Amino acid sequence: MKSIAFAFLFAAAALVAGDDDTFLIRGATVHPVASAEIVDGFVLVRDGKIAGVGRVFTPPKGMRVIEGKGLHVYPGMIDSGTQMGLSEIGSTRESVDTGELGKFDPQLRAEIAINPSSEHIPVTRANGITSVVSLPMSAGGGGGGRRGPAPSIIAGQAALVHLDGWTWEEMDILKSAGMSLRIPTILAPAGRGGDPDAPPALGGRYSFAEARRNYETDLRELRDFFEHARRYQKAKAANEKGFRPDLKFEAMLPVLEGKEPVVVLAARERAIRDAVQLADQQKVRVIIANPREIGKMGPELKARNIPAILGPTLELPLRDDDPYDAAYTLPDQFFKAGVKFAFGSFDNEFSRNLPYQAATAVAFGLPHEEALKAITLNAAQIWGVSDRIGSIEEGKWADLMITDGDPLEAKTQVKQLFIKGKNVDLDNKQKRLYEKYMNRP
Amino acid sequence: MKRLVVLLLVAASALPAQGPAAVAIHNARVVPVSGPVIARGTVVLRDGLIEAVGADVNIPADAWVIEGDGLTIYPGLIDALSTFGIPQPATPQANGAAAQQPAAPQITSPLATPGAVTAANPPARGPEDRPMTTSWVRAADLVKPTDRRLNSARAAGFTTAVTFPPRGIFAGQGAIVDLAGETPGQMIVADNAGEYVTLATSGGFGGGFPNSLMGTIAYVRQLYLDAEHYRIAKQFYAAHPRGTARPDYDRALEGVLDAPRVLLPATRRTDVDRMLRFADDLRLQAVLYGLPEGYRSADLLKKAGASVLVNLRWPEKGRDTDPDEPDTLQVLRVRDRAPSTPAVLAQNGVKFALYTGGLERRADLLREIKRALDEGLSPEDALRALTLSPAEIYGVADRLGSIEPGKIANLVVTKGDIFQTATEVKYVFVDGVKFEPVEEPAPANARPESAPPTPEPQGEKQ
Repeated sequence: MKSIAFAFLFAAAALVAGDDDTFLIRGATVHPVASAEIVDGFVLVRDGKIAGVGRVFTPPKGMRVIEGKGLHVYPGMIDSGTQMGLSEIGSTRESVDTGELGKFDPQLRAEIAINPSSEHIPVTRANGITSVVSLPMSAGGGGGGRRGPAPSIIAGQAALVHLDGWTWEEMDILKSAGMSLRIPTILAPAGRGGDPDAPPALGGRYSFAEARRNYETDLRELRDFFEHARRYQKAKAANEKGFRPDLKFEAMLPVLEGKEPVVVLAARERAIRDAVQLADQQKVRVIIANPREIGKMGPELKARNIPAILGPTLELPLRDDDPYDAAYTLPDQFFKAGVKFAFGSFDNEFSRNLPYQAATAVAFGLPHEEALKAITLNAAQIWGVSDRIGSIEEGKWADLMITDGDPLEAKTQVKQLFIKGKNVDLDNKQKRLYEKYMNRP
Repeated sequence: MKRLVVLLLVAASALPAQGPAAVAIHNARVVPVSGPVIARGTVVLRDGLIEAVGADVNIPADAWVIEGDGLTIYPGLIDALSTFGIPQPATPQANGAAAQQPAAPQITSPLATPGAVTAANPPARGPEDRPMTTSWVRAADLVKPTDRRLNSARAAGFTTAVTFPPRGIFAGQGAIVDLAGETPGQMIVADNAGEYVTLATSGGFGGGFPNSLMGTIAYVRQLYLDAEHYRIAKQFYAAHPRGTARPDYDRALEGVLDAPRVLLPATRRTDVDRMLRFADDLRLQAVLYGLPEGYRSADLLKKAGASVLVNLRWPEKGRDTDPDEPDTLQVLRVRDRAPSTPAVLAQNGVKFALYTGGLERRADLLREIKRALDEGLSPEDALRALTLSPAEIYGVADRLGSIEPGKIANLVVTKGDIFQTATEVKYVFVDGVKFEPVEEPAPANARPESAPPTPEPQGEKQ
């Protein structure tokens, strides 16, 4: 009986990790990210994992060899902020599954909602992105207007997934990469694009007093929620009489124990300050997501080792009088402040532009190797998976891309992409459309 | 018989005054505005009109004499764009930010809110539904002598206001009203001062057409084109009623055709340019109002020979704003420079009048005037912009705006210079009726909320 089970397991393992995922790339310039580049180096992959990196290696007979002369090998990129698989077309409600109603939904897991067949996955992959963090966010997606229900504060658990797999189980890297939390903010008067003259009820200028009241209420509720969760934790530990399991509070336990970070969406300086305060008061690990300015918070973040996921660089400045390059220079400001950061596209359609997001930052001061780290190794470290992904090192999964140049350059082509050693298809919808219209008579 | 009727009429007009038929202010400093200052002169008022002005005027035997030593007589001030006389809603809007907006439709309006979407009033589909239009509404039909603001307006030296219905794109027709009277009818000096146009939008989803500035401007244009067609069609029909299909009666167009002039809003320099072209295109007799950025629009105005109404309520930071969000440079610049507008216009020879923008307390008004004076506006020009200039702009300089025989007896008598804070307003004469103003205590909120204030220019791109 036991042996049958074993045989089964073996068969299953063989299915997932077939002969395909044992191969050698040689003659290429290898960029391990964790260490210096190796010109004319090799990467040995065995059973989907990196078994060796170096300069000279003689493959055993029969091993598949990929000749990489003139090409470059990089670790697959990680997009640290998307809603990949949760939302297909933002304006089509039926395809949007990014969040749930209610202010506090920590029990929700983005991972099980991910659609492995999303058209965005192959498109993203084609540019060398092998894994993404999928963040649940406020309910409604494209449908939630200001008149809609109150936006979520805790929207659920983010998932870190590979961009390959028939099911979410196959895509899984981290089931709960972090708890997605929107820090309550005083909604600023409608800025660019908003209609400042519209009556308040229609999304125009809020009365500040009103916005402030809502903000304070939200903050109080957030504090209360953490307190309830802590109370639940104690009751559970003490095996208290009449203890009732509660999924919401159960989901908060890893957060309270410091095992799971809180991903705090905080754009402006004061929101970041509130996020830091949350980290201090609740003794939780915080990751700042999509900050649009750093202000005076650099030293605060650094002192607490709070990392950040930086959003798109090709953005307009936050305020009319900000310098034109405010968004372009933000990554360098974080770097100079000594805050560890990774990039996230906070997008699905344009997640593929992740390397160019980093490239813009390079053009505006960020050292090139830091930019590269921010889309590979730093991301893996921030999410706590640097033992598995993020660089080309022995023992890690073979998430690799073979390119004809620097991935930060827009003209660079990804020639081959490997996820867990499996050569994945680079075909995608955009390519099909391209071919279709190129063939138009 | 005829003489008897005339006598009766005279008697009737004298009756409401209840005071003496004639008043003479003797030995006062007289500032007629239309002419040089008379250091020691006499002004005689009779039956609501100015009978005589001069250094050596005989005091009629029947006149009530006021010794004017130490007093200065000015023409009564005119608020050139106002809602004085139209009773305001009891509670000002709860929202401070909204008060900074142009006269956007609000439910609290005492008038039927044009453009308000109700069950009976579905969202407008296009210009054919005449959205936010009450062009036929006449301020003359809305004024009431009981408006609580008249007292403080008089205390501030105002005897006359050009009052408009405040809401909508075509808000309605203004009236020139004296700020006292027993009946509404007595207040009216002229019942048709012009059409008040704002560039209001329906304000978002479900509000219907027009929902954007371009929509509103297109609508205003369309209405004027329609009105011209309507006028011709009516004329033709009047000449050939037989065999001609009658044109549909349209009160919106009637209102537009009725108005001798149109008041168009202009906030930024771009707006000034836009509105001047617009008026030129449609051959409108236009008066621009607002002008917080008038200080850099003088060239345009001069070239067009336009007259403007400048809002004295200079833009200021809203009370309810986010302290962490700094105002943009552009906003700060206008806020700083706006009070120089009157001085710049005066230097460039642009005809302008000042309006209170809803300020009614004398202290508030003087503060705003002082800012303009500090920017180089001469007190004479300031006075003219509050007296004769508005009378000229509205075509009633034959009746109002200066101290000349035959004009309406609207005077302010002060103990000192009218623009000095320490100066006491002794008497105000409205239609020859004397008021001794009592300054009302300051309301809890220093800035009154009545329309129409100058909107803060928003970040519109040049």
